[in-house]
Amino acid sequence: MATKKKKNLAYKLDKGLSRLLPALGTIALALLVGGIIIAISGNNPLEAYAQMFKGAFGSKSRISETLVKTVPLMLLALGVSVAFRSQIWNIGADGQFTIGAIFAICVTLYLPGENIFILLLSFVAAFVGGALWGGLSGFLKAKFNANEVITTLMLNYVAQYLLAYLIRGPLMDPNGGNNPQSASIPEAYRLPRFVSNLRVNYGIFIGLAVLIFIYYFWRSAYGYKLKLVGASNTVAKYAGLKVSGIVLFTMVLSGGIAGIAGWTEVFGAQYRLLDNISSGYGNLAIVVALLGNLRPIDIGIASFFFAALMSGGNAMQRMTEVPYSVVDIIQGLIIVFVICRTVGQSNGWKQWIAARRNARKAVTAGAAEEDGGEEDNG
Amino acid sequence: MEYAVELRGITKRFGSNVANKQVDLKIRSGSIHGLLGENGAGKSTLMNVLYGLYKPEEGEIYLRGERHVIDSPLKAMELGIGMVHQHFMLARPLTVAENIMVGTKSKRGPLLDTRRVMREIQEVSDRYHLDVDPAIKIEALSVGQQQRVEILSAIYQGADILILDEPTAVLTPQEVQELFVILRKMREDGKSVILITHKLDEIMEIVDEISVLRDGEYVGSRVMGPDVTKDELTQMMVGREVLFDFSDAGTLTEPGKVKVALRDVHAKNTCGVEALRGISLELHEGEILGLAGVDGNGQKELAEVLTGLAKVSEGEMLYNEKPIQNRRPIDYINDKIAHVPEDRQTTGIAMNFSIKNNLIIKNHGAKRFKKGPVINYDVVNAYAEELMEQYHVKATGRNEIIKNLSGGNQQKIVLARELADEPEFLIASHPTRGLDIGASEYVRGQILAQRNKGVAVLLISADLEEILQLSDRIAVIYDGRITGILPRGASAEEIGYLMLDNQKKEAPHGNQEKEKSRV
Repeated sequence: MATKKKKNLAYKLDKGLSRLLPALGTIALALLVGGIIIAISGNNPLEAYAQMFKGAFGSKSRISETLVKTVPLMLLALGVSVAFRSQIWNIGADGQFTIGAIFAICVTLYLPGENIFILLLSFVAAFVGGALWGGLSGFLKAKFNANEVITTLMLNYVAQYLLAYLIRGPLMDPNGGNNPQSASIPEAYRLPRFVSNLRVNYGIFIGLAVLIFIYYFWRSAYGYKLKLVGASNTVAKYAGLKVSGIVLFTMVLSGGIAGIAGWTEVFGAQYRLLDNISSGYGNLAIVVALLGNLRPIDIGIASFFFAALMSGGNAMQRMTEVPYSVVDIIQGLIIVFVICRTVGQSNGWKQWIAARRNARKAVTAGAAEEDGGEEDNG
Repeated sequence: MEYAVELRGITKRFGSNVANKQVDLKIRSGSIHGLLGENGAGKSTLMNVLYGLYKPEEGEIYLRGERHVIDSPLKAMELGIGMVHQHFMLARPLTVAENIMVGTKSKRGPLLDTRRVMREIQEVSDRYHLDVDPAIKIEALSVGQQQRVEILSAIYQGADILILDEPTAVLTPQEVQELFVILRKMREDGKSVILITHKLDEIMEIVDEISVLRDGEYVGSRVMGPDVTKDELTQMMVGREVLFDFSDAGTLTEPGKVKVALRDVHAKNTCGVEALRGISLELHEGEILGLAGVDGNGQKELAEVLTGLAKVSEGEMLYNEKPIQNRRPIDYINDKIAHVPEDRQTTGIAMNFSIKNNLIIKNHGAKRFKKGPVINYDVVNAYAEELMEQYHVKATGRNEIIKNLSGGNQQKIVLARELADEPEFLIASHPTRGLDIGASEYVRGQILAQRNKGVAVLLISADLEEILQLSDRIAVIYDGRITGILPRGASAEEIGYLMLDNQKKEAPHGNQEKEKSRV
């Protein structure tokens, strides 16, 4: 029993598969049910999926569009994953994204001169904006134990309407007709593209940089503290951590990353502020984060998949009779299946059932959740 | 002779881990049967198989000569098997009657039949001298009373085979005696009782027969009689001879200077009730001060104020002659105050963390564990391996999630972590609770070793035997006050009396026997 298993390739492979398979299963199941729905609506699901695939990867420009969508989605999902790992349910990524974008654009539009420092400053401002927005919820939770689900959700609306006001008022583009939009950033600030006629741009590097940062963050002592708070406040306190401080820090970091997502969207894709600039990425990011098991690399893959689903869905709508709503349905199904999976993994419901049977402990065979982040360091 | 229960060739695996290997067990009708074994020996697993919680891979279960397949606790209850778990399954805001009614059918259809149930409960309670008021809420009951509610519930639901998992672990010596009165009454009525335990002393006087499990295997059974000795059973259980006596494991030469001093310390518990009402104590270097008392008399709060987890509302705490009350928990850790907490599963370890990550919850920021800002898991891994070996932790490896370990192994992890950084003051709350003999022996040895190294040790325990074995002085706590401080060699009776200070209880009996059995 006490034999120590040496980590070998097979073990790692097994571990990797055990992470990959549930995610693939979830997706396959969602596509299957989605296919049935397409069939019921009188269309050929295979044809629809083929068009969807072509729409996502069919040409250079399609791949470019998919990648353009991947970046904000990935950043937002990474942001929420930080909070989720510490068991803080930040669902305000949209708001943090929006405030980040507003802060960044204010820096470029209002500060004099056009140089690299302004650009860097706008990046910092985006982080600060998102961090403030997230940190506000974090502060309320740490100080008054206010439920972060409610505060982050409410702050989404505040951010949304603040943006709506700004682009119709103080920030409105003087040369933009009467359109609700801000002036665009100077051309020099635009993130460079790889190919001039494709929208995919250097924002991808920012996304990857943040992904790598988060990957190492979970291996750092700070990341460890966050995970410990997520595992148990009581244990964290016993271990000498200041839980309220960590809660605040978590929300600052989580919001800040969402702010960076706002920055890449403005400087890489939109170049200005528009209504609903976050385009609901924030809610999708929650699904992406959960589908990716809150692990940075998995999140990267999951966000690419979701981006493909979105850009492919557009093409599918154009080429077939199947409406884009099918994509929403598939996304919804993935949410449902991911939740089923998380519920299935947690012991809570089993214990509940077991308790009702007057049992002490539910059998948890195979359902053990790992604390993650350190599994690759053997 | 007909057996109430006969298990044949039971094998139960958890993954690659074999918890029960071809176990045979026979329980005679109308007997009290002890199921003895160390932690992790497979006792609870075996009984959970009998109770229908686990499905065995192999083996057959016979009840009163007939073969049955028990696939759920519901089925087990139908067949007259009741089980009282170590952790009680009672809804605290509900009354005794309401708790017992859960899972029974009302004769009035959708309406509850509370009055009839209450009357019937009262009848059962009177018959077995359980002394339980069906109308009282669970939260108003002591642990011992809650246990009686569980027993009552099982009997009420028709159990004639009752399994008790470590029933004495949470009871005072007096309460143990009360429990035994109930069990004897059940035996008189022809019911069979199975006591799961690793504490031989406590059940020797009551059991008719003892079966021993070791490492998941059935070792043998002994019908109790004058020829059956404690030594023999212990040897069956551990597989080797065990030294119980710590009395000469390094004697206290001279108490060192005062390490910790408490002056009239008051503190409130989480509900705002004053739990410490003027504690004054002195603790010297190289001394073990045992704090005896029934659970819930302020022990937990005392440990908490000494580690910064709770606030001192009045009074003063001195450590190395400097006041230390009301600082941040991290300050106490940095001052080399180690704490083995009372509730390891909610405080001592993060259940979803791996072993290695649990070993570094306090010192993950230390330089030696870091490469820049990143935790250097090569070093952590080596550290974890070393501690796991040193403390004989049974696990598949350092990456195993700690909730998969047995309680004893979890406690070893806590202890390993707390002692690794050379503490100067050790607060050990119930350090061997739920541990097997081998592990307890080891843990106690470690505590003594710390004392001999000059560490000041506050040993909080509800286990009198442990207190008597290890302590250089014994303080007794009752209702947030120290009711007396006794020298080494005080009798269990004296301590027991102080533990129940003010409570008009009859003088304890049966403790003399316990004293003697300390070999």
